[in-house]
Amino acid sequence: MMAEAILEVRSLTKRYGDLVAVNGVSFSVGRQEIFGILGPNGAGKTSTLEMIETLRPIDGGEVCLDGIDVTRQPQEVKRLIGVQLQSSSFFDKLNLGELLLLFGELYGRRVDPVNLLREVELEEKSKSYVGQLSGGQKQRFSIAAALVNEPLVIFLDEPTTGLDPQSRRHLWGVIRRIRSEGKTIVLTTHYMEEAEELCDRVAIMDEGKIVALAPPQELIRQLLAGGFKKDRVERLANLEDVFLSLTGHSLRED
Amino acid sequence: MRLKWKLTVASIKMYLRQKEAIIWNLLLPLFMVVLFGFVKFDGIGHIELGVVDESGGSGKMFVSALKNVKTLHVHEGLRESELKDLEKGDREIVLVISASFDPTSRDSLTAYYGEEKPREAQLGALVVQRVLDELTFQRSPSVQRSSLRTLPVKTRNLTYIDFLLPGILSMSIMQMGIFGVAFGFVSLKKRGILRRLWVTPINPNDFIIAQVATRVLVLVIQIILMVVVGVIFFNLHFIGNVLTLFLMAMLGAVVFLSMGFALAGISRSEDQVAPLANVITLPMMLLSGVFFSRTNLPGFVRTITDYFPLTYLADGMRSIAIDGATLAQVGPQLLGLVVWSVIACSLAVKMFRWE
Repeated sequence: MMAEAILEVRSLTKRYGDLVAVNGVSFSVGRQEIFGILGPNGAGKTSTLEMIETLRPIDGGEVCLDGIDVTRQPQEVKRLIGVQLQSSSFFDKLNLGELLLLFGELYGRRVDPVNLLREVELEEKSKSYVGQLSGGQKQRFSIAAALVNEPLVIFLDEPTTGLDPQSRRHLWGVIRRIRSEGKTIVLTTHYMEEAEELCDRVAIMDEGKIVALAPPQELIRQLLAGGFKKDRVERLANLEDVFLSLTGHSLRED
Repeated sequence: MRLKWKLTVASIKMYLRQKEAIIWNLLLPLFMVVLFGFVKFDGIGHIELGVVDESGGSGKMFVSALKNVKTLHVHEGLRESELKDLEKGDREIVLVISASFDPTSRDSLTAYYGEEKPREAQLGALVVQRVLDELTFQRSPSVQRSSLRTLPVKTRNLTYIDFLLPGILSMSIMQMGIFGVAFGFVSLKKRGILRRLWVTPINPNDFIIAQVATRVLVLVIQIILMVVVGVIFFNLHFIGNVLTLFLMAMLGAVVFLSMGFALAGISRSEDQVAPLANVITLPMMLLSGVFFSRTNLPGFVRTITDYFPLTYLADGMRSIAIDGATLAQVGPQLLGLVVWSVIACSLAVKMFRWE
């Protein structure tokens, strides 16, 4: 059912003192898959991602990306991945074009900033500074920066948190298009309808462990098969549908 | 190599787009020099009198009589060093008491005075003459009075700006190193900019090299700017070798940049950097002889400040710029800074953290 795995995580563990933040997590992600990691705050999502991204030492278990061990060859892995970090930023005194050129240089590449910006629909903004962007534009720029090295796998940590429904949907479109260009995407999110809409499979984490791992529809079927019933009668539309039908799907940030 | 270059160019670009940094690092020191340059500190309050006593004891009474005169600041020393101070303008008049000193004989006293301050010299000579008269009169009222032979000496007449400018340059090297680096890095850390860099294959050392190169460039610009403004507008008596001056400044930069990195390592936020940076820089700013000479400090304070890195730097920069000192002549200062740079670099390596 899953394509050849490009990312394999086995018994991954992270401890902070007595706290076991990630407790023996295992999963694999197939090529060109959009894989979601869900879970309440403190479940260990970000720690898991940061270990895979070489940002945090791995306390136990192993991670292989395209066959390369993250612990043994972190530099090699860094060349293969693109990362958007939660609450990270960029130099505020370089414009978007200059930032992309500089990040390209870090990989020994001479990139075309305008092309990259077009990819995330920011081609007009190459002379702007990060501080002048709206929330959605910042997230899109951050994805463009994650694409400078033409990575195999892209990691997005809560890419749509804090965005309005229009921007969020717009970003979904960007993510889908990047996947269609052959890249694999691993993302975390707190929005269930986003995971349902976007992800091929999701892993739900709680207290450092994966408590469920399957395609969203599969997980819903399992729940219903167990006799689950909603408190309220299912409606054919929700408030977000109302909001979008009233305010439209077009972006408002410019 | 290409990457180091690109990173440095980007870093310089960012620096130049930062208005606050330009104001603090480049314009503020310049402003201070301009401000102090227009304030005249050289009024006549007292006369700096150098006394070279070669009499071997017979002049002792005369010297102590001179010391009792309030308007005279008596400095005793060897002929060579006193005359040198006279040339610098630190003395208005230097009195040489010869081996054959006898209060009653002529020619056993010689007074050298600075040509550029005839008023002070004249006044000084008058005072000295009166002291001498009194002394002679006490001994044998009938004897003819001995008198002073006075000789003019060419002086460079150094002013406060000559003292101040090298001091301010040294101070701004310290500020740029400690405040610039520590605040800059903590802010990059806090905003997650460094984390974003570490997911790329960047070599952290390249990043540090670019940061240091940027600041060294700013430093070179600053030295040139200040010296040029000083010479053109404030009659700065710059006779030093520019390369020697740069070398001294670089050594100082190594010390203070390393301290900045060490501070950045142990601080998580700007709030933590500020007090630490102030505790380190304030005593040096006030006590290392940047604005005022350390000669009037109480003995033990002076001894402590002898070992401050900023003292070594300011003294070294001043000797090079104003006295035209060679590398050999600022040997003690160079040595002091080398020792400090070893200390500061080890601290930086030990304490600096990316996370």
